[in-house]
Formats: sequence, C-alpha cells, structure tokens
Amino acid sequence: MLIEMKGIVKDFGPVRAVDHIDFTVDSGEIIGLLGENGAGKTTLMNVLAGTFPPDEGEIFIDKNKVHISNALHAMRMGIRFIHQEISLCNDLRVFENIFLSEEILRKNGLLDKKEMISRCLKVFERMQVHIDPNAIVATLQPAERQLVEIARALLFKCDLIIMDEPSTALATKEIHRLFDIMRQLKTEGVSFIYISHKMPELFEICDIYYIMRDGKLVAHGKFADIDEQQATELMIGRHLADEEFLNKPYYGKDEVVLSVKNFSGQSFFDINFDLHKGEILAITGLQGSGRDLLADALFGAEAYTGSLEVKNSALKPGSTIIDHMKNGIGMVPRSRKERGIHNDLSIYDNISMAFFNTKFRRILIDNRRERERFLREQKALSIKTDQPKNPITSLSGGNQQKVILGRWLEADADILLFDNPTQGIDVGTKFEIYRLIIDLAKKGKAIIVFSSEFPEIHKVADACIVLYKGRVNARLNREEITEMSLMYYSTGANLEAVKNG
Amino acid sequence: MVSVFKKYSFKDLIKKLFAEYSYWLSFILLLVLAVSVNTNFLRWSNIINIFVQTATTGIIALGMSMVISAGQIDISVGAQVAIISGLGIVVLNFTNSIWLMFAFCLLLGTVIGSLNGLMVAKGNMPAMIATLAMQSICRSLINQWGQGGPFTVSNANFDTFRLIAAGSIRIFGFKIPYPMIMFIVFSILFGIIMRQTKLGKHIYAVGSNSNSARLAGVNVKGIQIIVFMITGLLCGFSGWLYASRVMAVAAASAGNAYEMEVIAAVAIGGTSMTGGRGKIIGTFLGALMFKIINNILTMADVPTFLNGAISGAIIIVAVLLQNVQNKSK
Repeated sequence: MLIEMKGIVKDFGPVRAVDHIDFTVDSGEIIGLLGENGAGKTTLMNVLAGTFPPDEGEIFIDKNKVHISNALHAMRMGIRFIHQEISLCNDLRVFENIFLSEEILRKNGLLDKKEMISRCLKVFERMQVHIDPNAIVATLQPAERQLVEIARALLFKCDLIIMDEPSTALATKEIHRLFDIMRQLKTEGVSFIYISHKMPELFEICDIYYIMRDGKLVAHGKFADIDEQQATELMIGRHLADEEFLNKPYYGKDEVVLSVKNFSGQSFFDINFDLHKGEILAITGLQGSGRDLLADALFGAEAYTGSLEVKNSALKPGSTIIDHMKNGIGMVPRSRKERGIHNDLSIYDNISMAFFNTKFRRILIDNRRERERFLREQKALSIKTDQPKNPITSLSGGNQQKVILGRWLEADADILLFDNPTQGIDVGTKFEIYRLIIDLAKKGKAIIVFSSEFPEIHKVADACIVLYKGRVNARLNREEITEMSLMYYSTGANLEAVKNG
Repeated sequence: MVSVFKKYSFKDLIKKLFAEYSYWLSFILLLVLAVSVNTNFLRWSNIINIFVQTATTGIIALGMSMVISAGQIDISVGAQVAIISGLGIVVLNFTNSIWLMFAFCLLLGTVIGSLNGLMVAKGNMPAMIATLAMQSICRSLINQWGQGGPFTVSNANFDTFRLIAAGSIRIFGFKIPYPMIMFIVFSILFGIIMRQTKLGKHIYAVGSNSNSARLAGVNVKGIQIIVFMITGLLCGFSGWLYASRVMAVAAASAGNAYEMEVIAAVAIGGTSMTGGRGKIIGTFLGALMFKIINNILTMADVPTFLNGAISGAIIIVAVLLQNVQNKSK
C-alpha cells in the first residue's frame, strides 16, 4: 500500500501545528519521524489516523484520494495508531480491550471469548510476552499496558502501524523484541511510522527519516546517509532567535528563598536544593521521572514528606495549597485547559482567582478594583484583548497563559513554579513567555521551570536539575546544559554504564 | 490605556443578547402569550398570586442555582420540604412559638443539606445518588411519623401562623404579600452573593473546572459542602413558609415534584447544567415563568395531572436550547 499525504495543514487556533507537509509511505518501509516536542509530529499522525481532519491538503492511498473521517475508518483502511498516552479501558480485561469494537461473535450473536483469548495468546506468544488475556488492565504494569496496545495493532490485518514514542515505558529487552516483530512484519509488507527522540533506536530500526521543526518538514532521506550528529542538528536547527538568550545574565542573589530538604513523595525521592532570589532553576526528566508530581508537591497539591523552608518559615507535610500560597508560592500548572483556566469565567475573574483566596478581605467584590488588577497585568504582561469581560477562551493559548501568570502576580507570589509553561503555544508567544520569565527573575522573583523541552531550558535556566526515576541524577549549571547532557542524564545513561561496567 | 475596551458593535450586542439574556426574551414572549390567553393576567391580584405561588419553590431554586453552578445537583429538596414542614408543625404545636419553629426549620434544613454536601465532597458520592438516597430517607421518615394523617397546625396557633404566607403590607396602595417580599429579597441577596462575593466566584470556578479551581487555591470540597448546606437552609425557610400556606402538611404529598419545578426554573433561567455559568436573575425569572406557564395551562383547562409532563418537557427544551447555543459559539 502506498500512502501519500500532500500539502497537509492543520491549525489549532492561531497555532499552525502542521504547515504544508508532504509525506509518503510505501509498503514495507519503516519511517522514523523526528522532531522536538511540539514540532507537529503527533498532529500530522493524528490527521493520517483520522483523529481529526486536515484544514488543507489531500491524502491518497494507492493513488486514490481518500477522506479519513475517524479512527475506525482509518483502521478499516489498514492504518493503526498506537498513541503515546495509553488509551486502554482500565476496568476491562486485556482481551476485551484488544477486541474493543471488533469483537468476535459466535453464530448466536454472543461473544466468542474462547476464540478471542486464544488469538490474544497467539499474538503474545509471537511477541514473547507473558500477559494473561483475562487480567484486568488496571492490574498491569505500565510496560505491560504498552505491550497490550502494541498487540492490539499487531492482531489485525493492517498495512501501516504508527507508533508514537512506544519505547518510553519499555525496557531494553522488550524494545528489542518489538524490533524483531517489526522486522518480521516488514518482510510481509507492513509499513511503520516510528516517532521517537532516541537516536540509537531510530538508527537501528528505521530506513527513512522525516524531520519536522515548528510544523514544517525540514528534511527527509535515508538513515544510511546521515549520522546522529547531523540528525540532531537538523532537528534542533539553528534558532536565530536563540542569540537573544545566549548571554542572559544571572540575576540570582545570595538570599535563599526556598530550601528543599529530604523532599519525597509518591514518585520522587529525597530531593534537595536551594532556590535563590532572582534565580531560574529548571527541573527536567522524562515522562514518569516524578517531575509532574514534584511540581504539584512543591505547590502543596500532592502529599510529601521532608521539609520545605520558605524564607525561613517551614512548610510541613500536610500543608494545603492555601498554606503554600500564603507563603508566596504560585504555580502556572501544566495542561492549561484542564488545570489552569476556567472556561466559563471572564478574563477578569480568571486573573483574580488566586487573589480572592489569599488577599481579598472585603465582603463585596468591586468591579473597579477587578478592572485595575486586570489593567495592571495587561500592561505588565501585554495581554492582548480588548474585552476583558469575555470568557478567557476568547484568548489565544499564549495570552491565556499570561492571564494565569497574572493571577499569581496579583497574589504577590515570590516563588513561581512554571510547569510546562509553553505547552500548545505558538513559537512567537513562546519567546514572549521566556522574556517574561527572565524579566520576573530580574525583578527578584525566584523561579522553577519544569520542562521537557531542551530549547526552553536552554534559553531561561541558570541551572538544571535532571531527574531519573524520581531521584536527582544530575545538577547542571548553565554552561553544562546541552541537549546531549540532558538526554544523557534523563535517560539514566550514566547509571546504566556504571552497572554494566 | 483608558480606551482598551472596545465598544460592542450592534451585531455583537444582538449576539450577546441571544447568548446571555435569552431568558429575558423568553420571559417577554411568555408574558405576551399569557396576556393574550388571559386578559386579566396583568391585574395586580393575579401578579401577586403568581409571586405567592412561586415563592416556596423560587426560594429553593436560588440555592439550586448555586448547586448546579458548582457542577452538582440536589434532587432531595421536595422531600426536605416535606420533613421540615411536617416536623416544624410538631415543634410549633409543642412550643406555641412560630420563631422557635422558624429556628428549628432552618436548623433541620442546614443539617440535611450538610449531610448531602458531606456525602458528595467527603464521601465522593455522585450528587445524583447521594441526594436520591436522602430524598428517600426524608420522605420515608416523615411518612412514618405522620402514619398517614396530616400534620395540622393547632387552633391556638392558627391565626398567627397563617399570616406568614397570607399576610401582606401595603405600599402606595399596593398590597404586597409577605412571600413575595421574601422571594424578592432572597433573590437580590443571592444575586449579590453570586455576582459580587468571593463565595460566588468560587462556586462558578469549581463548577467550571474543579481542577483549575483547586490549583488556584479554592477549597473545592468546602464549596461543594456549602452549596448543599445553603440549599438545605433555603429548604428550611421554604418549608416554614409552605407549612404556613397549607396549614396541614400531608407527609406523602408535601413538596411533591418540587425538585422538578426547581431544576426546571434553573434550567429555563439559562444556568448551565454542567456548571460554571448562570445568573440569579435568570433563575428568578425562570421560577416565575414556570408558574406563568402553569397559569396559562390552567386557563386553557389542561388537567393538572399533566403538570409533570409539562415540567419535564420544559427542562428538556431549555437544556437542548442551551446546548444549541453553546455549540453555535
């Protein structure tokens, strides 16, 4: 099967996630799709797998133009997408998940469990994994769930399997088994699109590379013709705008505003660091490194043990979000839509929400004061709107994020936690947010940026803590922050080396 | 910096009118319809009659607005009114004090409401299930207490107690019944709470996105408890008023289908059934509209047994219209 995508464009509001991409997959090809986070890889694949339609462009299968209207439709045409986030129903059994919406029936119309289970076992055998098809998915380990997702794709006749970072949850052994299966299917004419950040894997399994940057296709060709260094350079590109941030001065003062000691929680352990006034500290780590929960715990939204000294007054385990807020900690949370904004509320109310909780001492809310608060933040953060009484959803993602930031400035937070602050924000506004972060540090705020994006960390951070499996694996100063070093420490490569050596 | 706020264009204004003030439009349309069916509709005696009929459910609807705006639902309000008004009369007959009865009603309502809130917030129960169970418990207890007979106000208290619902004052020659005053005063009070206090903002925030609210420091569970508590308190007040209106509370039928009327009022009033959006003025008009529709139907000789079918249909139409509006945005 020959799949051609021509001139594909996809916009999310003002953000052009995919910008006129041409993409071709032939039978029996394994394609590596590379790009930084937010480059548009997943969006492009979602278009191909029918998750949403493109805004422009056409898709051809064997020279015939097709409209892929939904995921089921794509499956019928032989395209399977294994998503990065595991999308299994936790309360159902393994075989029920695998056959969801494609159940095998007996002649009398009832489910043919025996047949489904035996087919599951066959596939698992081929993958050399030991998972009970009757087990409830909730009882499986993350790696096993990932394998079930893969089994679901392998079980049915299909021509193209798209895998979005399948190896993050898998151990080395399992990855190699996966590669064996891929090679075998390849000889049967099945094609793969493999999205990954891990260069060694890509070079091992893929034939052809496509590299995306900021929604555009920057290069494609054969892996045999390039090396890892070249691939990395193509992926990162020479960001001209970077230069602005290259010589960022260090605004840190001697005064320690936040001292974290023996800080542990559900998925992070024994974290220690000091944060100074005016310092920007980045904390990074792969998915599952405990980064997310650490961010929440520092804000009091997750349980923790250990101590947290804020300007010499100690916050104890069991402190609430309000306690943390009153000590001057504010957080711009990750996943803005789900955890940051209030869709139904006006821009005014969104900006004042934290203020109401910590500093509001009156009985009635005065519209004039709400307006003053808004105008102050609009000026400071250049929020682009002319109708602040409108719902916050009338703003672009970047401006929404500024409103959330303004929320904490109005609550007089001195320690600002930014958790994945530029998620889903267009490139131009991203830079604006970086400038704001640096400007806030200059004004004496202490800042922690939680991020997985190297360019982001590279631009703003004075120092970077790299987490691996919930522990601090390295603490890098500004000169030591490179894409290589971040990848090296966040994949735990240094620790594995010691073990093997 | 002064002229940052753009003036709305005419088109924007019309759009806004339809999107946010649709309940005014329906209210006016309904008035026109009512006047055309019943030429006496706009007579003062009819107007105050509608207000008096609306007061008991209308007051509860204000609390229901809060509950629904916070993303919850309370279907125990009718049964709450039954148990509160029934036992209230017992207290009245025992103490001969309408104010002790008043205090008792408010207290009992607050306790029941708090239990609802605790089940939802601390017990993580879906509000529909928690309040359904509470409805069943309240109704069953008052039925057991009454043993089939009504709770009747004793002769000693008859004349003083009936004045709460039947009494009135005169302003500029207009007779204004107490229940009408109560309903209007409560509506204004709740309008201010929802628009201009921290509590109101927090209720909308929790209903809109409880995750975001929590991460902005809102005490989400506290808000969930308090909205049910306030609704219980209003059921207490309303139960007291209801007892005075009927003077003999029949355990099995008192406050019957109130939850339907109340939820219908909130729905017609434009409050989002998924929480986060809504206005008290909408609920105020919604409660009145519900009674006006009843009034029209009575005029048109529609059997009262069909009231339930009609309130059900009203809820469906109101919520469907909301969904259409939300989609078109």
